[in-house]
Amino acid sequence: MPRYLLKRLLQTVLTAWFTVTVVFVLLRMAPGDPAVNYAPPNPSSEQLAAVRHEFGLDQPVLGQYLTYLQHLVRGDIGESFQFRQSALQVVLDRLPYTVTLAVAAIVVTALLAIPLGVWMARRGNTAGELGANIATIAGQSMPDFWIGFVLLIVFAVNLRWFSPSGFTSMSSIVLPCLTIVILQVALISRLVRREMVTNLNAPYVTIARSRGISERRLTWRYAFANSAIPVVTALGTRFAAMLNGVVIVEVVFKWPGVGELVVDALERRDFPLIQATVLVTVVLALLVQLMVDMLYPLMDPRVRLQEARR
Amino acid sequence: MSDLAVTPARTAVPRKVLRRSAAARKARYATIKMWVGAVCTGIVVVPVALARVLPLPDPVHGVLRETSLPPLSPGHLLGTDPNGRDLLSRILHGGQTSLLIGLLAILLSGLIGIVAGAAAGYFGGWVDTVISRLLEAQMSLPLLLMLLLVVALFGPSILVITLVIAVAQWPEPARLTRALVLVEREKPYVAAARVLGLGRLRVIARHIIPNILSQTLVVVLLLLAQAVLLESALSFLGAGVQRPYPTWGGIISDGRELFVTGAWWLVTIPGVAIALLVLGVNLLGDGLRDRARRAKAVTS
Repeated sequence: MPRYLLKRLLQTVLTAWFTVTVVFVLLRMAPGDPAVNYAPPNPSSEQLAAVRHEFGLDQPVLGQYLTYLQHLVRGDIGESFQFRQSALQVVLDRLPYTVTLAVAAIVVTALLAIPLGVWMARRGNTAGELGANIATIAGQSMPDFWIGFVLLIVFAVNLRWFSPSGFTSMSSIVLPCLTIVILQVALISRLVRREMVTNLNAPYVTIARSRGISERRLTWRYAFANSAIPVVTALGTRFAAMLNGVVIVEVVFKWPGVGELVVDALERRDFPLIQATVLVTVVLALLVQLMVDMLYPLMDPRVRLQEARR
Repeated sequence: MSDLAVTPARTAVPRKVLRRSAAARKARYATIKMWVGAVCTGIVVVPVALARVLPLPDPVHGVLRETSLPPLSPGHLLGTDPNGRDLLSRILHGGQTSLLIGLLAILLSGLIGIVAGAAAGYFGGWVDTVISRLLEAQMSLPLLLMLLLVVALFGPSILVITLVIAVAQWPEPARLTRALVLVEREKPYVAAARVLGLGRLRVIARHIIPNILSQTLVVVLLLLAQAVLLESALSFLGAGVQRPYPTWGGIISDGRELFVTGAWWLVTIPGVAIALLVLGVNLLGDGLRDRARRAKAVTS
């Protein structure tokens, strides 16, 4: 077990390094000069050069990269161009909002998608299932920003149930969360249905049924227990992806999370802030994946046995 | 055709009973899905394709006397925006850009995916290692963020957006093709073709790929839905084809400051167009996939 964990941690570090490098290279390859955004208006070339020097952008790219990695190893992520403070701090200030939204969304998704998926699997090839099937396809066919606007128009502008944007009270989370949930429920419930259909048709279920085990027990204790790993993995992956910024939903609802931060940082070419956001969110997402992997032995005795044998 | 799965040549079971069987119902539902999908797709694609032929007002230059008209106004079926531009015309012309990008992107990603997947599956060894690692590496990147980064930094031309979407999408057809080729290459006809002296590339291109193409193309068709959604999301975030030329995401993005003032149609109607097209393509693809699975189950 510890050896496996070590291997996975090493993989995590490598993936994080890879991502950070890709972002670094892309930022440096791009045309345009970030210094323009941070010099006084109508800057002279000396002023621009001064800004570039201050940010270290006058160094050769390879040199910049090595310095960046050196600082990273020491735990220094760099200083944001626009906020003139530690980029890590700026990201960490925004992170709670994104994490709150992601946790709320994934919990609601799991609560809705699992029963829906199981229901669809039990009702295979009925008109009701066809309806649910088309509804879930429709759910993943709508652009998320559009769902967000429609919800805003209906519930915030016309009905005035919720405040239209930003984070003003706990109830502001409802609409952004709902927007995410509509898409995610569609995706996850289809996965649950697929897994459940496979398991419900497996020989072990037929045998259990012939032994007189109730349908309810068959569904949950037999088929669902065996579908748990792919479902939990998918939920974990979705959650991790949300940590990378539910960019669009945050922009629509002006939710002060990291997604909105990174869009803003991109527009202003705030290189250290972009790098910091990507690094923090990617590492978090990887850790979530790792934690999900650690859950496998708890969910499936077969995995435990395999490990014991190894 | 649709009864293929349930009506073998002769049977003692009455047709009525057969029609109620699970397999028959499944076949019917797949057909329903395909038809609904085809109709939804057609409703959007046909007018978009004809946008230049239909008698529509200019999508870029508006009439200043006719600003912010609600839908069903005379002469403007879907209303106008604050610049007096006809919304229907903008949606149809915008659809041309969005669809063009989507089609080019899936063409490219399908091509890359099939070639890379087939190579990885057939040759194995280091080719497979390289391609599989690439796939894994890309999986670990935060997708939308990367797309946004590239488009924001390299400029939102049709070419850049198409390339970016194609690169984002190639893993799916690649993984599927690889898996299918792995199965296919062990079949006797491949060995026979090799024994007859055909080169490996020829075996892949003329014998293996035609056998897996139908399954792969369904996935590529489904990617069109994803591509249209991605393009609209990028346009929405300001990383799309530039104004004043309309795209679906761009129209919605322009309308978002206005719905508070009551101009709800500028946001909702273009979204309906996107949703209808994507839903249509998804249903069509799903139906086709069900049918392909069934056909396979019957023949094997």
